[in-house]
Amino acid sequence: MKLKIALPILAAACLFPFLPFASEYALHVLTLVMVYMILAMGLNIVPGFCGLLDLGFVGFYGIGAYTAGLLTIHYGLSFWVIVPLAALNGALWGVLLGAPTLRLTGDYFAIVTFGFSELVVLFLTNEIWLTRGPLGLPGIDPVTIDLSFISKALNPAWDWYYMFDGETPYYFLAMLLVLAVYAILRRLEDSRLGRAWYAIREDPLAASSCGVNILNYKVIAFAISAGIGAVGGCFFARWTLFLSPDMFKFWESFLVLCMVVLGGLGNINGALIGATILVALGEVLRVVLPELGLPVETRFLFYGLIMILIMRFKPSGFLPRIAATGMDNPVIKDLKKRLDRERATA
Amino acid sequence: MLEQQLVNGLTLGVIYALIAVGYTMVYGVIELINFAHGEIYMLGAFFCVSFITVVGLPLWVAIPCAMICCALLGIAIDIFAYRPIRKAHRLAALITAIGMSIFLQNLAMVIWGSRPRAFPQEAVPAFFSEQAFAFSDVTITWLHLFIFGITFSMMIGLFLIISKTRVGTAMRALAQNRTCCQLMGINVNRVISFTFVLGSAMGAMAGILVALFYNTLYPTMGYVAGVKAFAAAVLGGIGSVPGAMFGGIVLGIAEALGAGYVSSLYRDGVAYAVLIAVIIFRPSGILGKALVDKA
Repeated sequence: MKLKIALPILAAACLFPFLPFASEYALHVLTLVMVYMILAMGLNIVPGFCGLLDLGFVGFYGIGAYTAGLLTIHYGLSFWVIVPLAALNGALWGVLLGAPTLRLTGDYFAIVTFGFSELVVLFLTNEIWLTRGPLGLPGIDPVTIDLSFISKALNPAWDWYYMFDGETPYYFLAMLLVLAVYAILRRLEDSRLGRAWYAIREDPLAASSCGVNILNYKVIAFAISAGIGAVGGCFFARWTLFLSPDMFKFWESFLVLCMVVLGGLGNINGALIGATILVALGEVLRVVLPELGLPVETRFLFYGLIMILIMRFKPSGFLPRIAATGMDNPVIKDLKKRLDRERATA
Repeated sequence: MLEQQLVNGLTLGVIYALIAVGYTMVYGVIELINFAHGEIYMLGAFFCVSFITVVGLPLWVAIPCAMICCALLGIAIDIFAYRPIRKAHRLAALITAIGMSIFLQNLAMVIWGSRPRAFPQEAVPAFFSEQAFAFSDVTITWLHLFIFGITFSMMIGLFLIISKTRVGTAMRALAQNRTCCQLMGINVNRVISFTFVLGSAMGAMAGILVALFYNTLYPTMGYVAGVKAFAAAVLGGIGSVPGAMFGGIVLGIAEALGAGYVSSLYRDGVAYAVLIAVIIFRPSGILGKALVDKA
């Protein structure tokens, strides 16, 4: 995103909790938007960058959330330790699922990932000894920032210990995670890895003729995507403080996929916009429908209808990806600029 | 016990096959995973029950009426949602299908309420629940036979339509190459509509049969059935009609055996595990041909 667009948005977002009309509800919705931003950015890697339809993303989200929940409850680990652990666990499952199945193409891969996510939900529902099954997992501790070991060393009277309470600290934590994921993806996009992904998406045959090991790159993409999904789940667990298998049903995968496609496949900013639009749409309908005298239960009716209409009039999403080939590609533009400069100096 | 499980699995399997055929035909012709197909199945059951309870038709009249309604609905969905974006990215069509599925499911909830309801028993012939045959400890009721009879005759009818008629030939040609079909003067949209008619009518029939079999229907029943049928279609090789029938039966039996021998809690899990295993070793499904990556 261009800095002159990004900075004002970021500044406004940072100021928002301190404005008089910023209610807990508004902060909650915005935090939810940011959770979905993380998920949408994570999922975007697989269908957006590599061109593979992944219908099982919610499985990794669930794995991350339950990893975080169980580690918190049983071992009392801090959020900052759990985030990398959950990400690693998610990525591990990504590799386990991806390595044998990423050879598959198109819809066969889609159905395998879908089957995986359903198996995750079944596992969470049925392995009651571990997850308490449909009863859910209550009693997850909120996030803390514990710097007392430093402060006590400096001055025994100091205690730098802070436990998250209310929506505002979570709002900023989510923002931090969104920025981190965004920065990582931006770096990846223009790296050797990102170029390889684009090449695979545009033409797998040509890419493999050029010596790109397609399977390896796809597994890496899948693992990174799974890891980011798990980080989203990890935040979700320490934010809502309660988990149940129902939260990780297939519907969530759909929703995140819709965000990615609606925003613009393969475009990181698109994922952000898609997440904002779909979460906001749900909340707006919740408020608007009773005003119009319609029951709130009809919310999803309109939700579905609006999704159809958006796709009808914006089939490539709000921010269509920049073509990987052709003159509007930033790499080619850059080369052209450099060439012009060299010509001018010569 | 095993034999009874097999009979029940086979019954469910032929019903999955009936839905899977609708998926696979639409996929073969326009390469769209029609997620709204599960909702057609659900609406088939609800239309049938409403024709019986509200209009007061007997079951034998209500079934074809419900099928006609669903066939018309299938065409309407295609014209309203899929036709405008036929040239867009494949995933755009997928999202539209998901949106349509959400819309129809919630429409059914608004119209009929979200609680499960029973099939009106007064309309169901009494002999359905009586046993037709019994071998040692297996009981086959007339309802089982009815389900088998209906599905097999519909399958045979479908085969005849696809292989013998002009429109069937056009459907097969369309699955091969759409541009070429247009050049040969085939009215592509009309053929696609016909595909939706066939698929939706069979889906509606499946919904009615399941509602009869379990004696219950609810607005979210389309989701699981749709997903299973999609899995069956992929299992048999998506785009292949015999593959979908075969995949449906395999899935139904795997599920029944899994529930009986592995764990009833993992009933659905067994189906997916079989599916994943089959796909890993036979990547284009059991009867499918190699597919190029189009995601």
